[in-house]
Amino acid sequence: MRDAIVSIKKAKAPKKDFITTQVAWGFRKPMNLEKLALLAQRVSGVGLLVYLFFHIFVTGSITSGEQAWEGLMGMLFNPLAHIGELLVVVGATFHGINGIRVMLLELTSLVGHPIRPDYPYKTQMLGKGQQSILYTAMIMAGLSTIAGIFFLFMGAGA
Amino acid sequence: MRESTLQLINYIMILALLVTLALHLAMQAFLGVTGYAQALSYDTALARYREPLSVSLLTILLIAATYHGLFGLRNILLEFRTGPRWDTFVTSATLGLAVVMLGWGLWTIVAAFGGF
Repeated sequence: MRDAIVSIKKAKAPKKDFITTQVAWGFRKPMNLEKLALLAQRVSGVGLLVYLFFHIFVTGSITSGEQAWEGLMGMLFNPLAHIGELLVVVGATFHGINGIRVMLLELTSLVGHPIRPDYPYKTQMLGKGQQSILYTAMIMAGLSTIAGIFFLFMGAGA
Repeated sequence: MRESTLQLINYIMILALLVTLALHLAMQAFLGVTGYAQALSYDTALARYREPLSVSLLTILLIAATYHGLFGLRNILLEFRTGPRWDTFVTSATLGLAVVMLGWGLWTIVAAFGGF
């Protein structure tokens, strides 16, 4: 009788953390541009918020006097920090222009026409106006990288 | 406050942010300075905290960036999990962060403008 008892264990679903879930969602098939754009928008947004948090405290050192300010700026004026600042400029440019696209998506008719879901299903892509703004965001992010390198690493105008 | 009202405020903050951030970045690179190194010098930075127009720009930028950033973070976290306790926790945590960031930032602006 005892042998007949079967222990039933609750099946455990593999736990995935939040970041893995988000990244996996972005690259899961069917892949499309708006999923990747949303992922990039979120990653750049969180990155910029983290930067803003530290930026507020770093600039707060101005009230401690010239010595404290110059010491901190001397510490932060190096190639590694410049790479971080370059990422901030690129992230802010992409986030800003892609954000305008999302706002237009929400507030105007730039969303494009819906397609009938007939088999074999096709992924609904952005309308042409939306795609153009997304490509503009990418190009502007590229251009801001060049401008950032020009000002941060080549000491333009210094 | 209703979520639609929060989103409406967010749209206003986004518009303010687009203008002020563009000016802020330009002021670090070429607007009124000869380069990035000069923009970071103590005298240039302090002069910006003493000039009323620049102080207004920094204040709007601080408020708009903090609101937009924390509102976005709250939205991401509320998508991650649901439930009234989680909602309360996330809203309280973002409000707490907002108080710290705005408090420190505004204190810096006021102190530097007033000559510490």
